Amino acid sequence: MLPYNWMMAVAILLPVVAAILVYIIRQYHVRGVIVILAAIALIVNSILFLLHGKGTFSPANAQMWDMVVTVLDYLILLFYIYVGISLKNWLVLIFALTQIIPLAWFEFGMGGSAALAKIDPTFVVDHLAIVMCLVISIVGSLICVYAIRYMYDHEHHLHLEKSRASRFLFWMVLFLGAMNGLVFANNLIYLYFFWEVTTLVCFMLIAHDLTKEAIGNAARALWMNSIGGTALIIAMILLLVKGAPLSVNGILSGGVTSAVLLVPVALMCFTGMIKAAQLPFQSWLLGAMVAPTPVSALLHSSTMVKAGVYLVLRLAPAYAGTKLGIMIALVGAFTFMAASGLAISQTTGKRVLAYSTIANLGLIIACAGIGTPLAIAAAIILIIFHAMSKGLMFLCAGAIEHIVWSREIEDMEGLAAKAPLVTVITAIGVLSMFLPPFGMLLGKWMALESASTIPLAAWLFVIASAATIVFWAKWLGRLLQVLPKLGSKIEKLSLSYTVPLWVLVLGIFGVGILVAPIYTGFVQNAVADVIASGQALAAQGWGLTVSGVSAVSSTANFVVGNYPVWPLFIAIAIALLIPLIFVGVKPGELRPVYLCGEQAGGPDADEWYSTADAKVKVQLGGYYFQGVLGEAALNPWTYTLSIVLMVIMFAVALLAMGGAL
Amino acid sequence: MNPWIIAIVTVIVAPFIGGILAGIDRRITARLQGRFGPPIIQPFYDLFKLLGKNRIAVNWLQFMWIYFYLVLMITALLFLVLRLDILLMMFILGFAGVSFALGGFCSKSPYSHLGANRELMQMLAYEPVLLLLALGVYAQNGSFMISQIYASSTPLIARLWPIFIALLVILTIKLRKSPFDIATSHHAHQELIKGVMTEYSGPYYALINLTEWYEIVLLLAIVSLFVANPLWVGIVIALAAYVLEMFVDNIAARMTVGWMVRFVWAVGITLCILNLIWFWVFAAIKGVS
Repeated sequence: MLPYNWMMAVAILLPVVAAILVYIIRQYHVRGVIVILAAIALIVNSILFLLHGKGTFSPANAQMWDMVVTVLDYLILLFYIYVGISLKNWLVLIFALTQIIPLAWFEFGMGGSAALAKIDPTFVVDHLAIVMCLVISIVGSLICVYAIRYMYDHEHHLHLEKSRASRFLFWMVLFLGAMNGLVFANNLIYLYFFWEVTTLVCFMLIAHDLTKEAIGNAARALWMNSIGGTALIIAMILLLVKGAPLSVNGILSGGVTSAVLLVPVALMCFTGMIKAAQLPFQSWLLGAMVAPTPVSALLHSSTMVKAGVYLVLRLAPAYAGTKLGIMIALVGAFTFMAASGLAISQTTGKRVLAYSTIANLGLIIACAGIGTPLAIAAAIILIIFHAMSKGLMFLCAGAIEHIVWSREIEDMEGLAAKAPLVTVITAIGVLSMFLPPFGMLLGKWMALESASTIPLAAWLFVIASAATIVFWAKWLGRLLQVLPKLGSKIEKLSLSYTVPLWVLVLGIFGVGILVAPIYTGFVQNAVADVIASGQALAAQGWGLTVSGVSAVSSTANFVVGNYPVWPLFIAIAIALLIPLIFVGVKPGELRPVYLCGEQAGGPDADEWYSTADAKVKVQLGGYYFQGVLGEAALNPWTYTLSIVLMVIMFAVALLAMGGAL
Repeated sequence: MNPWIIAIVTVIVAPFIGGILAGIDRRITARLQGRFGPPIIQPFYDLFKLLGKNRIAVNWLQFMWIYFYLVLMITALLFLVLRLDILLMMFILGFAGVSFALGGFCSKSPYSHLGANRELMQMLAYEPVLLLLALGVYAQNGSFMISQIYASSTPLIARLWPIFIALLVILTIKLRKSPFDIATSHHAHQELIKGVMTEYSGPYYALINLTEWYEIVLLLAIVSLFVANPLWVGIVIALAAYVLEMFVDNIAARMTVGWMVRFVWAVGITLCILNLIWFWVFAAIKGVS
């Protein structure tokens, strides 16, 4: 096995090296091989972390690394100032200045850097961080592999004279290193540094196509996340003033009265919420859709937004059981409901996916706010399955885009005839997002069973669940519309597409079927590392059981809920196999649909004779309810309510701190 | 008793009960409309007639969703008779509804497509109430397990009667009765032909009928959970609810989709949430004293 410092180097520095190589070497095949090798190294390395278990790490020549981090911090912030001035985007400029000035004051004026230098260890790798590392390394790497071919097709379609794919892959691969550093960081200035790197990379990737829209949306992502960075710096200043340790485990171990820490903790959660695109900060993630699809896949599944939920989840013990926890749960639950409702009105596939991501991140944050072991377990299960399912969905969306050259849901009608393979995989992706027996539903089920302490959150979950069914089923319905014809040819796709797609499908089924042993073997440790009290779930027989104490009965092992994993998978297998094996459809059985008139042509015709024998093509469409559920109708409400919720969140933290003083 | 035996007996017996209930429905409806009506076992004759017909499909995907609909409905029913988690049962019932709607979406027929869109709107209306019902069960029993409902000495209806009323509204939607027979109807209303089911015929249509019988049994069993001890009272209440639905069906006109969603959200969800708020306040008062 590798020495521990090598494992850390592979996790954080190897992507940097690989990124630079990819940038220099502009030959399509060699570049592809480097990305694939880096992907394999990262995946193997993440599994080594899993086998090794918990650990801590401080770099050998700490002073040098501290210096590097500090210098790079200021370089990044100076770059933001440059971006702000050159784009004449004053918001970017203002929020760059609100970071660089307090940061300089904090590090050199208040003696922050001396306090930071004393932090030991620099990195803490616990089981939650390992879960994140696995998600980042496996799902993230697969997306990078997919990007090799995608960018080739993308640039081919745009007729670019000079390929910019190297630059693109540089930022993609670098992202993985920054994310690994972020989840391992214990020293807050390291956390801040990696946080800024992810913001920077995100800006670069959204702006990649250099259209006016892309640059504008990238700038929006930049200034919104800069607000988060500012909040993180203010949190560090407050911690220093209160004499609290400037490290993650220092905040969690509670050296100082925890009520005093609530304001910095609230600020850090606020930072996480912006990165997780919670309402009212959802617009940066929606704007990020202009980027090439691998960027969306990476931002939504394994990086960026997951950094946000990671930070909120990480800090759960610091606010568990407080009013701040309740408010965090409500902010998340409200986002879950509002984003699910808004998703119904979206006509673009990628925007539906974006709203669904925002909604699910809201659910994860709500679980962190609820803060019971069951809720934390739900949050971690959701992080794992959401990364796989959403990664798959975006990769499919990208593949579909390169088949129909459109992102509109209505244009995907009849895709099964053109591209049966992608259609089937997309259908699996959609089903895995919201239905039993798949992991996302397990997470949602756990969240609902744990939400009884905050009833309002539970009701918001319920409304959101109903909306979720509608927008996914609607999309699936458009996608799976087929004409009476048999034997469509399976399309040929590049291996760079199919391998990531199949690995993710396999992951969704494999992890889904084995969720009980995976839970007891490994997720349970992560839950215990976040919040060390009580057991949330137990693997029992063919499923998972929630037990608790009951006021009514005095039985020791009172069963609260039960999720039989295998019987559900068996039921689905029966439903799928009976028709496939025993029934089947023969060509002679096919008939045209009923159109209330005479069809023009054979059974597969979708034209009919209307008045005066004119041939009319049947045109169908979904319901979108843009008048009631559209952004224009709902946004005034959602913005107002979500801002009110955030204000109350801070007010609660301030009051608690006032009370403690 | 051995759960395997319970499961097998349920799968075999439930369609007989469901079929007879459907026959009673047709008889009572006929009498309400001044007709004599078919024999009680007419639905079985119809089923066998349909099963004997030639198979006709409009594409290779259509019939698959019907098997999903059937298998998931049976799974949900098994969850109930094996007394498992009620929240998860509601999610499975939701999947069954989604597969039915997808069966409508998959053919390029305007009628089934419109029906499927309406079916989703029906789900938007009833799904929150079913999930809130599960939360109500938890609020009363401290457990989502149906076995706890049977073990508890206080019947659910004692404290969850507002949710029970909401459930009766939902029952009208789920049984496809007026005023909510919007996605497809048992009567010869012409505007949608047969809605979601327009493109199903012969053996596949028979499978839909079979699934509906399982669904009737499941829904009435959910109603009967409200008085689980003694069970016969619950069953009598469920049958009374079923007869009530027939009267409502025959005296009400069909409403629009939008009206249905607004009505169910305004009345059904409000009743459920008021019920849950009452539990919450009650717990808070108990906690203080």
